[in-house]
Amino acid sequence: MTTTEELITEVLKGFPVQVKRERRVFLTIPRNDLIKTMNILSSELNIQHLSTITARDTGNDLEILYHFLLKGVVITIRTTCPKNDPTVDSIVSVFPSAILYERELHDILGIVPNGHPDLRRLVLPDEWVGGYPLRKDWKQPAEQEAEE
Amino acid sequence: MGRVKLPIGPQHPALKEPENFTITLDGERVVDVDIRIGYTHRGIEKLMESRTYTQNLYLVERICGICSYAHVENFTQNVEEILGIQIPKRAEYIRTLFLELERLHSHFLWLGVAGHEIGFDTLFMYTWQDREVVQDLLEMISGNRVNYAMNAIGGVRRDVCVEHQKKVLQGMDYLEKRAGYYKEVAINEKTILARAENVGILKTKDALKYTAVGPTARASGITVDIRKDDPYASYLDTPFDVITTNTNDVLGRVVVRVLEIFESIKIIRYLMAHLPAGEIVTKAPRKVPEGESISHTEAPRGEDFHYLRSNGTEKPERYKVRTPTLANLPALAEMLKGTYLADVPIIVAAIDPCMGCMDRVLVLKGNEKPGELVDGERLRRYSIKWYAERGWKA
Repeated sequence: MTTTEELITEVLKGFPVQVKRERRVFLTIPRNDLIKTMNILSSELNIQHLSTITARDTGNDLEILYHFLLKGVVITIRTTCPKNDPTVDSIVSVFPSAILYERELHDILGIVPNGHPDLRRLVLPDEWVGGYPLRKDWKQPAEQEAEE
Repeated sequence: MGRVKLPIGPQHPALKEPENFTITLDGERVVDVDIRIGYTHRGIEKLMESRTYTQNLYLVERICGICSYAHVENFTQNVEEILGIQIPKRAEYIRTLFLELERLHSHFLWLGVAGHEIGFDTLFMYTWQDREVVQDLLEMISGNRVNYAMNAIGGVRRDVCVEHQKKVLQGMDYLEKRAGYYKEVAINEKTILARAENVGILKTKDALKYTAVGPTARASGITVDIRKDDPYASYLDTPFDVITTNTNDVLGRVVVRVLEIFESIKIIRYLMAHLPAGEIVTKAPRKVPEGESISHTEAPRGEDFHYLRSNGTEKPERYKVRTPTLANLPALAEMLKGTYLADVPIIVAAIDPCMGCMDRVLVLKGNEKPGELVDGERLRRYSIKWYAERGWKA
């Protein structure tokens, strides 16, 4: 383990930190703790590099992964929100670079980041009414027509 | 004079790819800018979930026509990590060779585009001619000028023979001479200085705040390079320097890229001199066990980030791609504020944006109606009809 990983484990003591391999650290937290954790990352670890935010459909829930980079170590914060209440606090106030990534989540998976300043569409057209394409139950408009 | 809102794009003669900038002007000064993207969204992440890992090798490559190899490298690294495969040393070196050849052709291409944007088309002609040398080398080894189809899961598909090595080194000698000339031009040529110095300022603190990546970040004095920070392929063995400048302007971004050309040449010479003998590929199973993996590489434009979630089948459960251009957009909006309208094209070009190309068309009929997906066949018939109505024969 390099010193950066030791530092991360030390600062995030009390959290279930998992070092998957060299330079890959994962941490799972409940969504209510998100802002608290983000503040620790920002103020105590002095992380500034948010690589991106990934989200995926796990069936009943939506899993959100925040990927950070600190001295070559990728730190991933994992949280989930239920599909019937797909909301999570926006981290833009802590990490301004999250602005486009959260817009993308909202656009393609329907996750609502509470407190996000600008939730216009990002990759899909403004007039899109076809739902959230990256959800597993999404069907292409052509497939839907065939079924009807 | 009141403020004027000026829409540029998505279709505009000055844009190379469809994107939309809504620029608010006060006289000649830009006071606000809003960037709208998504005009080339092809749904590749969704498409990947319905294709096997082998098919995805070639789909991933088509995310971008210039830094295609960075994407396929990320993809294979992710799959190999979950499979627990260690690829042969020789394959690692060949992959690094391609990563650096790609950086070379991308930086030469960019230098030409930057020249073109400031009305210095001679530079454009020169650099694009030199770029052909790299393209020929890529074609010689892989058979392709773009989308090289070099990677297999577990290694590479084509070997580099002694004859190739000799030609690559000859190419490097030529390119080094040319890059030396461009270095002189970038630092001394009045046209470039007048248009690039103190233009498109991105302060270090803003670059950090908006997580700028690649040469854009390095020109603002941030030492970030995934090749050094989180070494992949053979970068751990290979000596090279991370180039940074602290001028924070477009000129800095030119200088960083020109100097990076020399570093790439240095890396390629090292690789050719130390190419290990042995196999180029190990056998990999078709099914990938359940797991997840993160891979990121230093593409010519900056950090290219991929995430793979596998589910034990032949197809991925979720694949996520974040390209460096998206990461640089918030920083770009910051750079544009307060500049002159005439400087907008070169500032935009200075982050080396890459929006990808169109694969599937979305036709919008007026603003109130929902979008309609049109497949290739319907599009073909539509075009035949369109021409027929105008008296043309298909």
